[in-house]
Amino acid sequence: MTGFDLDAAWRLHPQVSVRPERFGALLYHFGTRRLSFLKSPALLTVVRSLESEPSARSACVRAGVGASDLPAYTRALARLADSQMICGRTAA
Amino acid sequence: MPDSAADLLERPESEIAETEIADVQQDELVAADLLVEEISIDGMCGVY
Repeated sequence: MTGFDLDAAWRLHPQVSVRPERFGALLYHFGTRRLSFLKSPALLTVVRSLESEPSARSACVRAGVGASDLPAYTRALARLADSQMICGRTAA
Repeated sequence: MPDSAADLLERPESEIAETEIADVQQDELVAADLLVEEISIDGMCGVY
């Protein structure tokens, strides 16, 4: 897993569809044909707010992620970045 | 079994049996942790 810059600007990849579920959400990437299960509604809130927040860190704060949970959410976002579900806002 | 994972996204939740999601998961479990679980559907449907 690559390092994840929590203070950078991120966004949902344009080829990714989001389906909210009771457990969180399903993400499907039409380019890689991969599915990701977000097993936390708060993580869905984070992912959805990435586009409008200046950084992933502020998206986490906006979603109510506490300091004690931030490392786990950072790892989750890193995994989503590795699988191209999210991308840097300057990237396509 | 759904035609594809994308099919799951397009159908109402009430129409999706939990076993269908389980079928998708069985194809290839790539990685999992507490918050994110990822799978690949390559080769599972043969309809593309």
